[in-house]
Amino acid sequence: MNSPFELTRRHFLGQMTTGLTGVALSRLLNDALAAAPNRQPHFAPKAKQVLQIFCPGAASHVDLWDHKPMLDRFHGTPMPGADKEVTFQGKNGNLMKSPWAFAPSGQSGKMISSMLPHMAKHVDDMAFIHSMASRTNTHGPGCIYMNSCFTREGFPSAGSWVSYALGSMNDNLPTYIAMQDVRGEPPNGKANWSNGFLSAQYQAVSMAAQQPLRNLARPASITVGEEQATRDFLKLIDEEHAALHPGNDELRARMAAYELAAKMQLTAPEVSDLSREPQHVHELYGTNDNNKLKAAYARNCLLSRRFLEQGVRYVSLYCASRASNVDGLLNWDAHKTLKADYERHLPIFDQPTAALLTDLKQRGMLSDVLVVWCTEFGRMPTHQEGTSGRDHNPDAFTTWMMGAGVKGGVSFGETDDFGRRAAVDVTSVYDFYATVLHLLGLNHEKLTYYHNGANRRLTDVHGHVIKNILV
Amino acid sequence: MRTIFELCDLVRETAFAIHVFNGHGHLEKVYENALAHRLRKLGLKVAQQHPITVFDEDGTIIGEYLADLFVEDRLIIELKAAKAIAAEHTAQLLGYLKSSRNEHGLLINFGSYRFEIKKYAFSQNPPAQSQTRKLLPLLIAFSAFLCGKSNAANGIAFFEQKVRPVLVEHCYGCHSAEAKKLKGNLYLDSKAGWQKGGDSGEAVIIPGKPEQSLFIRSIQHLEADLEMPPKKPKLPDAVIADLVTWVKMGAPDPRDGAKLEAKRGDKTWWSLQPLRKDEGRKMKDESVSRIDEFITAQLAEKKLTLNPPAEPRTLIRRMTYDMTGLPPTSEEAEAFVRECTEDNETRRQGHGEKGDVSLPPHLPVSMSSPKARKAVEALVDRLLASPRYGERWGRHWLDVVRFGESNGFERNFVIDDLWPFRDYVIKSINDDKPFDQFIAEHLAGDVMGKDNPQVEVGSAFLVAGPYDDVGNQDVVAQKNIRAATLDDIITATSGAFLGLTINCARCHNHKFDPIPTEDYYRLRAAFEGITHGRRVVASTAQREAFASATKPLDDELKALEKEHDALDKAIEARAKEVLTRTKPLRPKIDPQGTSESFAPVEARQVKFIIQGLTSDHQAGKKGKRLAGGGGKLTEFQVWSADEPQRNVALASNGTKADGAKSATAEDFPEAYGPQYCIDGALGEAWFIGNPAVLTLTFAKPERIDRITFINARGDRSIDEGKVRGATPCEYEVQVSNDGKTWTTVASDEGREPWTPAHGIARARRVITTAEEEQQIATLEKKIAQVQAKLRAVPPLPQMWVGNAAQPREQTFVHKGGDPMKPGEAVVPASLNVLDQVTKPYELNPDAPESERRLALAKWITSSENPLTPRVLANRVWQHHFGTGIVDTPSDFGFLGSKPTHPELLDYLASRLIANGWKLKPLHREILLSQTYLQSAAFREDAAKEDKDARLLWRFPPRRLSAEELRDTMLTVAGKLQLEPMGGPGFRLYRYLANNVSTYVPLDAHGPETYRRAVYHQNARASVVDVLNDFDLPDIAFAAPKRANTTTPLQALTLLNHSFTLDMARALAARIQTGDAVTQAYRFTFQREPTAKEHEAAKKLIATHGHEAFCRALLNANELLYLE
Repeated sequence: MNSPFELTRRHFLGQMTTGLTGVALSRLLNDALAAAPNRQPHFAPKAKQVLQIFCPGAASHVDLWDHKPMLDRFHGTPMPGADKEVTFQGKNGNLMKSPWAFAPSGQSGKMISSMLPHMAKHVDDMAFIHSMASRTNTHGPGCIYMNSCFTREGFPSAGSWVSYALGSMNDNLPTYIAMQDVRGEPPNGKANWSNGFLSAQYQAVSMAAQQPLRNLARPASITVGEEQATRDFLKLIDEEHAALHPGNDELRARMAAYELAAKMQLTAPEVSDLSREPQHVHELYGTNDNNKLKAAYARNCLLSRRFLEQGVRYVSLYCASRASNVDGLLNWDAHKTLKADYERHLPIFDQPTAALLTDLKQRGMLSDVLVVWCTEFGRMPTHQEGTSGRDHNPDAFTTWMMGAGVKGGVSFGETDDFGRRAAVDVTSVYDFYATVLHLLGLNHEKLTYYHNGANRRLTDVHGHVIKNILV
Repeated sequence: MRTIFELCDLVRETAFAIHVFNGHGHLEKVYENALAHRLRKLGLKVAQQHPITVFDEDGTIIGEYLADLFVEDRLIIELKAAKAIAAEHTAQLLGYLKSSRNEHGLLINFGSYRFEIKKYAFSQNPPAQSQTRKLLPLLIAFSAFLCGKSNAANGIAFFEQKVRPVLVEHCYGCHSAEAKKLKGNLYLDSKAGWQKGGDSGEAVIIPGKPEQSLFIRSIQHLEADLEMPPKKPKLPDAVIADLVTWVKMGAPDPRDGAKLEAKRGDKTWWSLQPLRKDEGRKMKDESVSRIDEFITAQLAEKKLTLNPPAEPRTLIRRMTYDMTGLPPTSEEAEAFVRECTEDNETRRQGHGEKGDVSLPPHLPVSMSSPKARKAVEALVDRLLASPRYGERWGRHWLDVVRFGESNGFERNFVIDDLWPFRDYVIKSINDDKPFDQFIAEHLAGDVMGKDNPQVEVGSAFLVAGPYDDVGNQDVVAQKNIRAATLDDIITATSGAFLGLTINCARCHNHKFDPIPTEDYYRLRAAFEGITHGRRVVASTAQREAFASATKPLDDELKALEKEHDALDKAIEARAKEVLTRTKPLRPKIDPQGTSESFAPVEARQVKFIIQGLTSDHQAGKKGKRLAGGGGKLTEFQVWSADEPQRNVALASNGTKADGAKSATAEDFPEAYGPQYCIDGALGEAWFIGNPAVLTLTFAKPERIDRITFINARGDRSIDEGKVRGATPCEYEVQVSNDGKTWTTVASDEGREPWTPAHGIARARRVITTAEEEQQIATLEKKIAQVQAKLRAVPPLPQMWVGNAAQPREQTFVHKGGDPMKPGEAVVPASLNVLDQVTKPYELNPDAPESERRLALAKWITSSENPLTPRVLANRVWQHHFGTGIVDTPSDFGFLGSKPTHPELLDYLASRLIANGWKLKPLHREILLSQTYLQSAAFREDAAKEDKDARLLWRFPPRRLSAEELRDTMLTVAGKLQLEPMGGPGFRLYRYLANNVSTYVPLDAHGPETYRRAVYHQNARASVVDVLNDFDLPDIAFAAPKRANTTTPLQALTLLNHSFTLDMARALAARIQTGDAVTQAYRFTFQREPTAKEHEAAKKLIATHGHEAFCRALLNANELLYLE
């Protein structure tokens, strides 16, 4: 299966010197040392890069994007047929309207929460999918399901699949970055950007404005001169060793990896340096906002744009983190006090995310970048018994897409009158990623990898491209 | 002669084959040529661009049309390469038919993704009632046509008219030999195909019984998830009715094609056959090992030979790493080289000794002498006896059994008592425990070795995988979680021991292997009683010793508590009585906001001293203040005495809040802090800690006369207990101007108690006499002393071995893998897949839990079972040569790879059994084979034939594994700690637990981590430096084969992580005296440096010191690569 060494490449390897470009070096690594496909899309792609914005904790569809007037009308009355329903944390009370009004936005007049005034400016570019349904009502499995199409760990995340399929666009930077929220990792942590059974090079590099790339910097105790002399000596002894071992291409590849590492040491800090951005950009994002959490997320938004601009293939940007001892404190998991919780989370999310979209648009980057917004599932239209929050609802939630290849100002699928269940054009995570891969020029049924007895796919054995939202 | 209908079908099938083969992107002419070509190949008369004369009504010739194809002088075919068939295309064909006075035409469109074909008949004989000629699509009733023929012929005719066209158009795309991708392993293009059936394993058509035929049920959309054709509307009712009629007729089908080469395996699959008997030596030279015979024979077929033997230094490195995961010392290497090469004279006499596994005599000089052979044998024996062997090969096994020390999923809590299983694996392998016993202990150690912890711990295998422990109230979710938990055990068992992917049969029969769904649930029945968790694992002696130590203390404790309770009850009775006589002066506190007013006072600071919480006084609990914890405050307001009243406590006024917290989130330090009390928002809350005091310091002295504390964020109607946690209900408010002298200005005095229990507790404080207090204190002291003694008795060891209980209900097949859709009941039994080679068993539905696993263990390790020894022997081979004879080590099924050397594999498996399932003799035989001893030298000619050296014309070089690399760095730095050999693991991460777990990789690795990497506490999803960079798998699944990547991130870690710098410093310290360069080379590579290396190294040391030099050595390819 892993059949890495082509004759031409061996020839090429033999010729390799430090003079080669990073592109050549990395191709060498990627192609020679991994079970990689041919790094070509299956057909002409609409998008080349993906920005995934993930709000962990199950951001409520009926309070953000999915306007349900019937909730206002029947507020405080029992949801028909729901008296015996036991969901994740237990029993449910009556129907509960959103604490905030919805407002028509954009040319399309799309109704979204009035708590999202900045995001409202982008609805005409967004394609909402209101009929998402999950297979689990638990955050951890839900998050990895939204990221890998499986509810258990061990499967590659979508970003890993894309890295595996398409490789890098800039070898001096990681291919796939998971941008960490200042509040910590999302539920199920690193499994969300895991390479699963694909090889380790396809996992995301975890970083953020507040958390630089690990081991990137030359140790402080080592001078530039010492570093150079050490590397020179290393190169010399590796050359000697390689000369004694003809035919072992892996040795050459590893020497190339050291050269790439050196390039990454130069490039990554430059790209991460937000001080290079002008003041008005900082203001647009809100990177110096008094709300520290908002400022931190804003910096990660800006950082995401800078990495995408330099050709990082897949950026997963997290807004909020794991479940803490208090429901809804660190993430969107508003079980008990939805209004208070979301009045904290929404201002963190709204302006910086909208600024990122504006920035991408202004720079023309949306012709290459596909933006997807995700959360692991939705919330109940009723309030959780004895509280003013909402319990988990795996049967309905909203996601949206925007940018390369996506129709703007449209909504696909519907939930029922109260938003309890996806009702029209029920859409699975498989469909979601079949569409993402399609936009990247990949046939989701053909992108496979053999593992433990099966040719695995990102979309398992399901998935249909959602054509209605494509340009 | 063919009927026109047969002709049409032939054309239809041929055209469809062209569509499948050529796709839809070509010019019309291409399809015309292709179709003409293929039809001619079938022996038909075909004319291309055939001129058809067109007549007018009265027979006058008025022109000529060119038909694309004209077949057998009867059938007009019009071809299109358009997006879709349009009305004008139909009109055109009809025109041709009409004008040419031909009856039959086909319109075929190749231009769209979906193949389209339409058949038109132009009746020249108008129906009686009509004066005009009518066009009749062919799907009209043909009863007239059938009249007067024999039944059989009628049946066939019906099939041809009504059934075949439907099959071709709607089914062949996925269910025929031409299908791009065969679905469900079902062929509908031959009778044998539907008789055999697909993944369902049964005939899809049962002649005469449409209601029982899966084929009919599918097209009627009566089978969930099997609605056919998929993703399309149901076929027209009339069509379905025809098909039903056809099945009722007995499903007459003339298609005798046997295109049944299913793309899957059946019970004749190679790995399911009994081990073949070794037919004995083929070569005359008896000194050649049997292994080498197999290898050289296959090499000879490609005209290849083995490499000459490796150099001794290379060999001792290879072998030492292979068997121990560590490098040899330079002394060991030098001694070995000496032993192999010293004696040049006796070398040619050295093939006298006979034996199964002696070195072949035709080795080149250095390795063929009796002395050299002895040296190699001695080395092998020394390595096999080394305790390091178990650490190395134990790690391989831990990969196979998906050993991870956290439960994974959302919470991913670290498991601190699973390490005994790791130690058990290492010890078993060092002891050369027979693997049939070892495997059986994995499945039923607790049954086989009850009260023998050494054996019992083996069954921790069952619960060493990930499982979801989040408390889920939803019943459906609970069932699914349980199914997933057992699925992990089933998957691990079948993969590790049998090399079968039985898990693929969870929702449907295995798509590729002959494993029915029942097999999956039979296996589940064996594990139905297992739950994850820890329990005491101790010998009888340990239990008895523990009981005799604790019994007297327990008795003493009970007596004291009795006395205490009696006293307590008496006090409480009096307290209750007092309470009924007391009337509260003020209302009870209110979580939505409680205010206390006092005379105006100037203060710089305010203290809120919390003495009791609403949670402290629940029914049935004794009244201790602040016992419950969990108190919270969302807001604390201090009001100015002057108008307009201002809340001077707000942080926006410059006020600071201090107070202990009862919860922390290390990755989010601000969480839960007292600052939330003064943020002016009812959002986040302070988690009241110990001491339970909130201290506010104003920016300047303020005149104040009131405070308000709030512990609420929602409506009054909501249940505060569910939302907020406890509210302070006993408290004092104090003020100060200098932070030293404090004056109490308010308290909860006079307020109605929160609950009756609270009232009683308060009353108790008033009415308890000093004497009673003294008595209680004395008793409590005594109780505490006994409790301390109890705690001092060493507890019985707890281990994460899981719990077994009799299953409450029988195991059912889950239809489609859905636990909410129970199918047939199954009993604990052997798997059907092997019933022809291994004696089956079947237990009663209510068989005791322990018997279920024991029976399974016996069956898996039965000497008749060919899979277990094959899979095991292959794993051994894989770790010696980098790749197994089967290179999908846990999948010996259809999708796995086939063995490169099937006979050798069976030979090794047979040897394993003959050796009593012990690994060491097998290792020895492999290590002493010429195949293993040969050099890794690259040969261009051989590489052309076999670039990956799967045939082993050379020893395949490899990179060190993650553990080997880390252990090597520690070894060459002189820092590796071999003791303790076992016990709790060390961590390269910081473990944070706050509802869920976070694993933060450590930037510095202290000396407590200088143990062998196998002792690292491998939590799932804990990505740590060095180990994960170098492909230590995240053990969510078994990892029978490690990846081998080369990435810039590896280079960054190995260059820059403090671990490398520490090791470089330690190595530098070892080479301070004498020739530093030579010493370092000996430590690191077990050789002398070359002159060039020596010179360059000295130069580096001279300018940048020893550490720079050592840092480079630790990054060198020579350190990482073995040959």
